[in-house]
Amino acid sequence: MTFAALTSVYAWLLVIAAAALAAALFFIKLRPPRILIPSLSLWQRVLDASTELTLWERIRRTVSLVVTVAIAIALALSVVRPSRIGGAVAAGGGRTLIVLDSSWSMRAKTNGRDTRWDRAIAEARRIAASSDQVAIATTADGLVQGLTDDSVLVDSSLGRLSPSAFGDTSWPTVSGVQSVHFITDGAVPHHLDPSIVIHSVFESVGNVAITAFDVRPSLAAARRGSDSQVGTAYLEIANFASKRQTVHITILRGTAKIVDTRTDLAAGEAYRQILALPRQGDAALHAHVDAPDNALDVDDDGFAWIARARPLSVVVVGDHTEWLKRLLTGDPDIRATFVAPTADRDNREDVTIFDRWAPSTLPAQPALYFAPPDDTPWLAGSGDAAPAEERRPRWDSPADHEVLRGVDPLTLRIDRARSCESGSLTPVARSSRGTPLVCVEEAPDRRIIVVGFGPADSNLATAPAFPVLVANAIEWLGRPEPRDLSVRPGLTTFTGPARVTRDDGESVPLTHLTTSAFGVLSAPGLYTIESAGARNTMAVNAADPQRSNVARTTLASNTTAAAPRNPLERPWWLACALAAFALVFAEWWTWQRRLTV
Amino acid sequence: MALRFENDFLKKLEYLHVVSKRALAGQNRADRLSPKRGRGLEFADHRPYAAGDDYRHIDWKAYQRLNRLLLRLFDEERDLSIYLMLDVSRSMADPAKFDMARRIAAALCYVGLAHLDRLTIIPFGNDLGRESSPGRGKGRIFRVFDTLERLEPAGPTDLRAACKAFASRPRQLGLVVLISDFLEPGVAGASSAAESARVERSVTKDTHGPQAGLKILRTIGHDVFAVHVTSERDRDPGVFGTVRFVDVETGEVREVEVTPRLAAAYVQAAATHAEALEHFCGRYDIGYVRADAERPFEDVILRTFRQGRFLA
Repeated sequence: MTFAALTSVYAWLLVIAAAALAAALFFIKLRPPRILIPSLSLWQRVLDASTELTLWERIRRTVSLVVTVAIAIALALSVVRPSRIGGAVAAGGGRTLIVLDSSWSMRAKTNGRDTRWDRAIAEARRIAASSDQVAIATTADGLVQGLTDDSVLVDSSLGRLSPSAFGDTSWPTVSGVQSVHFITDGAVPHHLDPSIVIHSVFESVGNVAITAFDVRPSLAAARRGSDSQVGTAYLEIANFASKRQTVHITILRGTAKIVDTRTDLAAGEAYRQILALPRQGDAALHAHVDAPDNALDVDDDGFAWIARARPLSVVVVGDHTEWLKRLLTGDPDIRATFVAPTADRDNREDVTIFDRWAPSTLPAQPALYFAPPDDTPWLAGSGDAAPAEERRPRWDSPADHEVLRGVDPLTLRIDRARSCESGSLTPVARSSRGTPLVCVEEAPDRRIIVVGFGPADSNLATAPAFPVLVANAIEWLGRPEPRDLSVRPGLTTFTGPARVTRDDGESVPLTHLTTSAFGVLSAPGLYTIESAGARNTMAVNAADPQRSNVARTTLASNTTAAAPRNPLERPWWLACALAAFALVFAEWWTWQRRLTV
Repeated sequence: MALRFENDFLKKLEYLHVVSKRALAGQNRADRLSPKRGRGLEFADHRPYAAGDDYRHIDWKAYQRLNRLLLRLFDEERDLSIYLMLDVSRSMADPAKFDMARRIAAALCYVGLAHLDRLTIIPFGNDLGRESSPGRGKGRIFRVFDTLERLEPAGPTDLRAACKAFASRPRQLGLVVLISDFLEPGVAGASSAAESARVERSVTKDTHGPQAGLKILRTIGHDVFAVHVTSERDRDPGVFGTVRFVDVETGEVREVEVTPRLAAAYVQAAATHAEALEHFCGRYDIGYVRADAERPFEDVILRTFRQGRFLA
């Protein structure tokens, strides 16, 4: 017998002490009250008549003492949590590393109403109880508890663990361990060393999952002038149960229910639906499926964000902006306004385009500058020194920056270019002689693009590169993060410092590095990323057919099964506590009840 | 507690008198017939005249008929000596029980004094206490009350020794009223099982315990009346579970687990004890009255004592 809470010696000492204390209290508690009576003669006669006492009355006190001691022992055992370990394989012994598979599939409910994770924790406790020293690790978090012989610490570490959204990390290694036990359901295959003892918590159960849910711009939306449809939503649902069942599908756009249907899916059948999304409406999409045989709930919800459901607001500041008006007014994803420099004031638009004019101070919002004036204070060369300028510069090498992706420089004919280089600006395109032609600034709270030439200095307004350059610039300025709007739960890296909040307003803690930050998006949902003065929304979904198919396992059939197991190997503390209560009742029955009959 | 009675109750008591089953010779003239022949109102018999007799008692009518001098004899009416033996041992310490005993004694004193009986109060425990001087007449009733109020229960009980001490002194034969709970250390006080068995046998043979004392009183010629005062605690343990019973007289402690069965056995034993005492009294022509302390006092005096033919 082993004990989960204490070592065997201390556990047995506790049991013995509890029994001794109960026996002592039994005799102390029975110090009876003193009652003065006129004479003991009558009692003497009664007591001397031995026939007045039945056998039960003679042994009742002894029975009561035994019951009291048994109650104390049962309570002590319930505290030290004994368990009977059976089998050499299951027993750890020595120094043991216990690795728990913490993938989503471990959340699957079994037929016994507990989850695979519950079984895995119970199995881990069982192995830990039979080991001298234990280290705990999970496939997602790696090592969470180093080698220790403190059973309370191990127990508390196991109690804190939960299935994680992370993908698998590298296999944890602990030096000096004599055996490694891996508790898994086998939903995700692992390439394991043959010496690792695998404990299976797999139990085949049915599940219905959203295996894909995303929004893409439709072809119709890409056509200029089409404003009736912003994109299409793609939904894929799979029935991983072994029987046909009816699946209830709902899709909410904001708070409006746009899909509410039921469909019968055969075992293993997948359901796919493409849904046209009109431009009008909320940008948030939430899909949900429900079915009778559905063991895993984390994959029942899917989220998507219609990035272009809300057009970007762009303000163009300049005196002669017709060349930009022709381009911007035809784009349904952009709501452009045009103002003169004299009317410019600090506005809250998504993107500001300054056409051959620049404010004296840098605005806070993202901005695109075309040919800023020579006397712009925040540009290099302003003031006493004249800015560098190059006549007929040659821009013949394609740049690698996102703003210039797809821009063909050979179609541009530039007569005069002003150097845009400054302290905070980084050139992303240079002429053949090295004059910066396009510069960007990517500060934590601001993004700026400066193009060193304008329509008067070049054929920019008519060049094929012009719409590509403007579209890239507005996209980079207005929707900085993320590029992929749908990711899996887990550790996510953001380029550039950002602030990430859940749809319920809770902020996600981020770890900032020099040029990036990363944080854990632990649960499916919509997350808002604020970076460089712009906001964007990202959908996190757990859709993964491999993990959602909880009806199969990759484990071999001869793997040690952790559940169900012999009831004697289950934790005894509950049984001990129940026994204590039963004995208390028995004690009451044998002692107190006699006074009421 | 003050032993004062209501006037109405005292009037009721004045209509009663103590009944003695036997005619006993008193010391002074009173209104009770005595076995003595002398001056009285009730004609009893004739006897031949002898020199020295008072010739006023010669029955001249009989001389005319029989030509013999016969003397008329009358029953002499004397008082009755009443000895009120009151148990003042520790076993009577139950306030209700001791108060009932003292009130019974006070009531009997009043009845006796009202009828000019000679009344002596004798407290006893394992020996006789200080006796009150004999007296008669209602005027002494307040001294009787004071005497009774000053009594305090103390010491063990030995009824046989007390009765033996009572009998050892020369006394006018009279009515002995023994007011007690008739509980003695007895068997419980035995130091060993063998002694316990011996004492138990002696009780059975009336050579030990309260019965022996009553037997002594009866043997020397007194008219004996036993008033058995009991309380609820005497008849019923009143508790359950494990308790430590302490004998108030001996201080002996006995731990007993009182179960319903054992409690019923005790009730039965207490009833058997009372029945045995009553049976003994009947066998030896001793009056017996049981006075439960919980009963109303007037009910005990006016009903129980009259039903027991102690008062009439």
